[in-house]
Amino acid sequence: MANLSLKHIYKVYPNGAKAVNDFNMQIDDKEFIVFVGPSGCGKSTTLRMIAGLEEITAGELKIGDTVVNGMEPKDRDIAMVFQNYALYPHMTIFENIAFGLRMRKIPDVKRDKEGRPVLDKDGKEIPVMRKYNKQELSAKVNEAAEILGITEYLKRKPKEMSGGQRQRVALGRAIVRHPKVMLLDEPLSNLDAKLRTQMRSEIVKLHKKLETTFIYVTHDQIEAMTMGTRIVVMKDGFVKQIDTPKNLYKYPANKFVAGFIGTPQMNFFACTLKKSGDKVKIKFTDADAEITVPYAALMKTTPHYLDGSKNVILGFRAEAVSLDGAGDAKIKVKISHSEELGTETLVYGDLNTEGGADTRIIIKAGGFRQFEPDAVCTATLDTEQIHLFDAETEESIMPRIPEFNYLDCSVKGGKLTFLGITETLPPAISCGEGKGELLIPVSAVKFGGDIKAKVTDSETVNGKILLTLEINSGRLYALSDEERKGDVSVGIDYKAITLRAGGSETLPMPRINCLDGTLIAEKKDGATVYSLLIGGEKFAAPEEVYTKIFAATTGRKAFNTAFRYEWDAYGLSVGESGISAEVEEMLDYGEEKFARVNACGQTLYVKTDADLSGTVRIVPDAAKVSVVESERRIRIV
Amino acid sequence: MNKANVKVVKAKTKRVLNVLITYCILILVAFIFFFPCLWLILASFSKSGSIYSFDGFFPAQYGFDAFKSLFTDTVMYNYPRWFANTLFIAVMSCILGTLLTILTAYCMSRFRFKSRKAMMKATLLLGMFPSFMGTIAVYLIMTQFNLINQHWGLILIYSAQAPMGYMVQKGFFDTIPYSIDEAARIDGASNFTVFVKFILPLSKPMLVYTALTSFTWPWSDFILPKMLLIDKDLYTVAVGLMSLGETEFARFAAGSIFIAIPIIVLYFCLVKYMINGMAAGAVKE
Repeated sequence: MANLSLKHIYKVYPNGAKAVNDFNMQIDDKEFIVFVGPSGCGKSTTLRMIAGLEEITAGELKIGDTVVNGMEPKDRDIAMVFQNYALYPHMTIFENIAFGLRMRKIPDVKRDKEGRPVLDKDGKEIPVMRKYNKQELSAKVNEAAEILGITEYLKRKPKEMSGGQRQRVALGRAIVRHPKVMLLDEPLSNLDAKLRTQMRSEIVKLHKKLETTFIYVTHDQIEAMTMGTRIVVMKDGFVKQIDTPKNLYKYPANKFVAGFIGTPQMNFFACTLKKSGDKVKIKFTDADAEITVPYAALMKTTPHYLDGSKNVILGFRAEAVSLDGAGDAKIKVKISHSEELGTETLVYGDLNTEGGADTRIIIKAGGFRQFEPDAVCTATLDTEQIHLFDAETEESIMPRIPEFNYLDCSVKGGKLTFLGITETLPPAISCGEGKGELLIPVSAVKFGGDIKAKVTDSETVNGKILLTLEINSGRLYALSDEERKGDVSVGIDYKAITLRAGGSETLPMPRINCLDGTLIAEKKDGATVYSLLIGGEKFAAPEEVYTKIFAATTGRKAFNTAFRYEWDAYGLSVGESGISAEVEEMLDYGEEKFARVNACGQTLYVKTDADLSGTVRIVPDAAKVSVVESERRIRIV
Repeated sequence: MNKANVKVVKAKTKRVLNVLITYCILILVAFIFFFPCLWLILASFSKSGSIYSFDGFFPAQYGFDAFKSLFTDTVMYNYPRWFANTLFIAVMSCILGTLLTILTAYCMSRFRFKSRKAMMKATLLLGMFPSFMGTIAVYLIMTQFNLINQHWGLILIYSAQAPMGYMVQKGFFDTIPYSIDEAARIDGASNFTVFVKFILPLSKPMLVYTALTSFTWPWSDFILPKMLLIDKDLYTVAVGLMSLGETEFARFAAGSIFIAIPIIVLYFCLVKYMINGMAAGAVKE
């Protein structure tokens, strides 16, 4: 009965191996979260860090409103079910379940022998902590046993029970305490297939009944898809995607998720994209095949992938192709063999009818159909259900929230024209004249400006609302915190845009300023003061900052470690004393002014209201700092 | 008889011969082992006492005189007193030594701390030297602490040396799945609770083994008590028996036989706990 918050959680082993990398997640109350991924991806480690069985190297873990990083497992009010059950072999099932209760005390008031509350001299009850008594214990154990159907086995020992029953006992031991969070570490992987399916639905039922937050670790994607309200897909210590089962299936963020979720595996082919008019031609690299899809299906695709030169990966599921459907996107397939699964038949074939490069395709066809091996058929692709990934990064190139709006524009006399509107460029943006292109991050479209627009579509993606705006029949994506409809007015945050025109390019102002430094300790009036040491200057570090640094590094090593301190432009200011910096340029973005300065060999952007020149002193705000350990690249604060 | 039958008979003779040879060897080995023991038992029932009055290899006459005098003639050689001394030292060393050994083993098995590996290697290495190598040093230390001629000095040495052999116990603790500890910790148990409520009940066979070994060593040790105990009244049985006169061989033999009784009793009391499979059913292997 609590929400969880994981912020920049890292697990780094003493030998430098990173098991979990920058894990960020908000888990709401009563959610059923599933961590899924191949073995060694860090899912169990993350769970064990939540349980308190594994130390958190860096980051902040909250259960409810309490930071539990340094807390003992027993104080976190969690319960865990282990893969190998971990029952207490010398105790009866009753004792196994009751043990957690016996270890706990409950608040009560002081009572006399007859059970009446004893009052103090002010006539108030005296609060005390006491252990569960016999009746309470057996009532609670019996209640848990009844839920799981193991009442008749309570007097037995674990070794007299079967695998499924033992796992029930392990569940009983967890639920009897009514914990805030239930953690389950591959609880079903030791059971046989039939029992697993049965226990799967029982655990889902249990979750509904208990109304507790569940975190479930599995390597089985079917378990993940059928049980979770949200799924975290992990690989090599990195979170690959966090979303609902439906969204993971429909909108995989990268090739790994696309291939991991769903059976049979998604079909992948190397290809290139070429846009002509309102159509996009997809040409397969390894096979003599080509399909044409309407541009409307690839609207959010980053434009520079559409010029036919970039290698991309096309992905589509077995059910997105059919051997007898109607449509324009047709490909020739040479069938190699088929598997009859009852309600459906999986047809395996190759796009390359001549043989050669591996172009294996799996197609789902209706039940009990016969296919001749080596026959060449025509398959039809549903263009609504295709996925595209970058060939190198393997990230989706048609994300649900596009990063940028790509617009054609022209610059003339300090005025920028795009989407049929003309805006005066702020002095900070100096650009050549002529036609060019404009990249506006979706997050840089602000509401409340002087550009009139109409909301044509809105879509909620991971708690954010993506609005499609229409401006003079052109399209602009914007992110909003609230639902908006009809006519709105928007403005552009010019410091975030990229503008290429007239042979010159203006890049956005970097959001992060980095400075290298260390942490030092000094004795002052008997107390130890910890400071950030940057370029020979000291800035007192707030308690929150240095305690986190100490937690992430160990002991005195903290003082020999190089850190990268980061601030946004608002975290730095100009003052009387501080890091010496040379002003290079003043940037005037209209409403706001920034100074570009050079300090300690780094270029910094500082928010300022005055026009600066020459040498200034930069004062960073130590409370707003975020700290990255340079060597291991761990975000500490 | 046809050929096949001849083969069967041949195989049968061969098998019988094999068994016969095996038993002959086993009986021979057993005899070599048991003969000294047997001889000692016979000697303890010798009526005359002195080894010189034996009729060849075996005593000339048999009787219970040696056993009687062991407990009745206590003016010169106070055997009951020695026995009590030995029992006290052995029981105390057994309790303290077992406690220290299992705590050391638990520590090494369950906790990961700096220099753990180095300490394990060092103890292993030190354990390879015979314990009497340090007797002079031990003697000097004991004089410094004024523990010469005191039973507690011996008990301290025995208990302190016992954890050197923690490896066997650690190996046993390692077989108890770590997830039981983790489950207990999540259920609210402290390290001490885990140790007392889970590790100890699950390692009964190992506890018995540890207790037996740490009992038998002080019980039969000679070198240390010989060096540290001066008063005859403080002697342990081993030292006391050595102080017997030449003509008291039967008494010596009787004393040696009698000293084996507590160990045999202890063994039969504890043997029922030395069973395997305590942790069955805990985890899925």
